Amino acid sequence: MEHTQMWKAQTLEELVQILHHLFAGDKVNVAEVQALMDSYDSNPLEWMQYAKFDQYRYTRNLVDQGNGKFNLMILCWGEGHGSSIHDHTDSHCFMKVLQGNLKETLFEWPNKKGIGEMMKKSERVLRENQCAYINDSIGLHRVENTSHTECAVSLHLYSPPFETCSTFDQRTGHKQKVRMTFYSQFGERTPCATAVLQENN
Amino acid sequence: METQQPDEASAGGEAGAAGAGAAVVVPARRGGGGGGAAEEEGGLAADLASRRSAETRRLVLSQRRLPGPLPPGLARWFPALEVLDVSGTGLAALGSELLSLPRLHTLLAKNNRLGGPGSLPKGLAEAPLLGRSLRVLNLSGNRFAELPAALLGLRGLQSLSLGSNRLHSIPPEIQELRSLEFLYLGGNFITSIPPELASLPSLSYLVLCDNKIQSVPPQLAQLHSLRSLSLHNNLLTYLPREILNLVHLEELSLRGNPLVVRFVRDLTYNPPSLQELAGRTIKSRNVSYTPGDLPGNLLRYLHLASNCPNPKCGGVYFDSCVRQIKFVDFCGKYRLPLMHYLCSPECSSPCSSASQSSTSQSESDSEDEAIVAAHRMQKVLLG
Repeated sequence: MEHTQMWKAQTLEELVQILHHLFAGDKVNVAEVQALMDSYDSNPLEWMQYAKFDQYRYTRNLVDQGNGKFNLMILCWGEGHGSSIHDHTDSHCFMKVLQGNLKETLFEWPNKKGIGEMMKKSERVLRENQCAYINDSIGLHRVENTSHTECAVSLHLYSPPFETCSTFDQRTGHKQKVRMTFYSQFGERTPCATAVLQENN
Repeated sequence: METQQPDEASAGGEAGAAGAGAAVVVPARRGGGGGGAAEEEGGLAADLASRRSAETRRLVLSQRRLPGPLPPGLARWFPALEVLDVSGTGLAALGSELLSLPRLHTLLAKNNRLGGPGSLPKGLAEAPLLGRSLRVLNLSGNRFAELPAALLGLRGLQSLSLGSNRLHSIPPEIQELRSLEFLYLGGNFITSIPPELASLPSLSYLVLCDNKIQSVPPQLAQLHSLRSLSLHNNLLTYLPREILNLVHLEELSLRGNPLVVRFVRDLTYNPPSLQELAGRTIKSRNVSYTPGDLPGNLLRYLHLASNCPNPKCGGVYFDSCVRQIKFVDFCGKYRLPLMHYLCSPECSSPCSSASQSSTSQSESDSEDEAIVAAHRMQKVLLG
């Protein structure tokens, strides 16, 4: 059993530094990473520059590329913004709320034929500074900012990094591969054309 | 003193910081100190007066309990004010102190106690400068039971948020907000959408999630500039087929609606009334008439004829029509149940494939029985 060291990140910059250290090798100690993410007390002044909101949908803003071992990004959710049900392409996914609240709904994988309403496993509301973990063996999830008055901001860590994933229609289990894009990278807006309709079902 | 809160850059279309030295954030007063509400009110006025500036463009008073209404001197102390944020202050009314703010374009008053009569100043829309300058208004998290009439004349308003209030309906007069691009009405008790909403020429973001909406009027398809439509968590069982016309739509949310997956079997068929049959004859045979020939109600009735969507039919219908659920691939993705209105059971669905005698295997599967041959046409009533 690996020894789990307890880290404390005082600032976002420190969090990134420690993450580089934790991901230097080949193995990921999930408990250690989660404890580290938990330990960082969200300070908006430290991440404001990455928090770029879009009027129409949630945004993904790249913060650090972890020497190719992970992607660290900040997601900005306007009022009512939510994601589709999606998988994580065999990667670890850590999600920490930096501001506001996010509802996470877990789903079972649909059966092979992808017919019939998908089965909800559980749901919870993540509050500020809470950190969740998911990977494909745990299941699929949908993340939403259900507030009609407040925005939400979350910090996501994916390892290994991935650019595509599958989204699922809750009513039928039908899945579709999608390519994910960044709204900004390292604080700079990086527009790219979206030709495909984003349907969050 | 200048603090830019990250959530000021939110999706509500709010303006960003106007620039260094142009923002004033007034922190909550510390300590109780004797005195009642009157002293506190006076305290707020004194506090604001002491910060008066002809350069201040942005004033943030949020997240502190205000003892009373905003002081009347506001416009005198901050004549250049462009953005006012009084969210989370417990305000029960916004008054005439706002009307003389000549440059105010963004007013954020979410999470307050607004909603009763007199919550908004009378003459808001008529105010010579404010009525035209106001572009963004956020009244989310208040207690409005209906869309405040005071707003309806704000012809320059581009963004309106009334999320998490107590609205039961949207007034047809909403069409008077000609400049509206962003309309957020999520989290209310709205049961239907007025077709007049579709007259808003610039609407690009429409949020109606978390309401009690049972149907979407087909006229909504006239919103050519609509980019994002949020309808999740409502009571929709189907959508009008016209929704396919929203070619600029990039985001659509429909989850949490009881959308039909299978055909609902035949219930009852109501044959058309004599009035309807007469109306159809007049229209399809181009029987000419002048306004003097008919009573006003019949003239209006004839005007409401809808064309049968079947391009080969060319017929019209008024109230009596066959409603058929047809499952259509939306933008090549998921199958959505769309409602077709046809003038009679003999008419066939305009989207159906050429073969009409039996369901074509390529389109039907165990999930839907969408293609209905003319001789099997079922009328579906979804109540």
